[in-house]
Amino acid sequence: MTNAIPEVKLAEEHVGKWGMVINQDICTGCQACVAACAMENNITFVGEEDSGYGRSMHWIRIERFWEGEYPEVKMTPNQPMLCQQCGSAPCEPVCPAFATVHSTAESLNLQVYNRCVGTRYCANNCPYQVRSFNWRDYERPEPLPNQFNPDVTVRRRGVMEKCTFCIQRIHKAQDEAKSEGREVMDGEFTTACAQACPATAITFGRTDDPQSLVSQLAHKGHGVKHLEELGTLPSVTYFKGG
Amino acid sequence: MIKKLFDWLKQPLGLIAVGIVFLAVFSAAAYGLWTTQQAPEQPVPGFPHKTHVAFGIQCLYCHPGASKGPAAGLPSQAKCWACHNQIVKTRDSALLAPLKDAVLSGQSLEWVPVAIVPDFVQFNHRAHIAAGKNCEDCHGDVSQMGIYENPQVMNMGWCLNCHIETAGDDQEKLIKLADCGTCHY
Repeated sequence: MTNAIPEVKLAEEHVGKWGMVINQDICTGCQACVAACAMENNITFVGEEDSGYGRSMHWIRIERFWEGEYPEVKMTPNQPMLCQQCGSAPCEPVCPAFATVHSTAESLNLQVYNRCVGTRYCANNCPYQVRSFNWRDYERPEPLPNQFNPDVTVRRRGVMEKCTFCIQRIHKAQDEAKSEGREVMDGEFTTACAQACPATAITFGRTDDPQSLVSQLAHKGHGVKHLEELGTLPSVTYFKGG
Repeated sequence: MIKKLFDWLKQPLGLIAVGIVFLAVFSAAAYGLWTTQQAPEQPVPGFPHKTHVAFGIQCLYCHPGASKGPAAGLPSQAKCWACHNQIVKTRDSALLAPLKDAVLSGQSLEWVPVAIVPDFVQFNHRAHIAAGKNCEDCHGDVSQMGIYENPQVMNMGWCLNCHIETAGDDQEKLIKLADCGTCHY
């Protein structure tokens, strides 16, 4: 089977379904999103030693950069970095097990844990470096297993994982809406990181609905999509210096 | 040494020995497979589903979560005892001693779920009931069962066959129902 080369699109023209807007000007770098994400998605605590080997596991991280030479360094705004849920994702075509696939229904990049055989090709091909690999079955001492989120798989050693845009919350909201015979409303639910953000720097919602808060923010004019020149069609828009 | 062994195995006695070893290994494997297909032991031995169904009790009376959320739920001893306490025959029955003990001691009855999916599968009963599926479509004819047994192997092929059949020619429905992210996240 030959896959046709996808038509080159501008990142701004890419609509997708779910999207996020991150305002770097009001992000204080407090790491609340990082903690909330780890709680929501059953992410393991790697510990000091493996972290030192660069095996720390986060689905969202706060990136900091410095400008200038040592005495006159200037810190750039904090940059929360998570899976950009690319419309044309570099991680997908390299997976030999089809474990990272594109969800046509939700326009998300999925990671199917039971298919993953741990080749780590996807992480090597991700320009955003947002995938994390379970190098071990890390210990979770009691009573930590009591706070597992039952809606999210607990991953085991040897599988890759990454941000899912809290797909369990998407499904829950859709299920609730369907049981009440309506559509999911804008702002009815949000991702764990956006919910935890005390500065409301993260906004989540439907990008294909022009009335939603997230698409209105995304079209304000000075948004940036990271590494869009690679043609990845990311779903996350960043603002700074606004 | 090894040649000697092969020569011995080619004798009638040796062939019989090989046959016995083969049969032993094969029957051990078959027994192992058979044990995985048995209904597990439940806290109330020999719990008769068929008796309860015969009295006209609806599935949703004891498993009410099925119409509301992901898990159908297994009844607590309070729910069992609410009925059984009022029937003289069952109140003092030796068969129901585990239930009575649980009620008196306040320990919960630990039912063993039989119809289970692996933890990398996110299953939601509500969506299936809302889509017009009946309990017996997946769980078989419980009115003929004692302790519940799965009527078929509950694997992904079985799920997906029904999903694709349900979607029919509706492309939008098929995209949703055959999407990996519908069940795996």
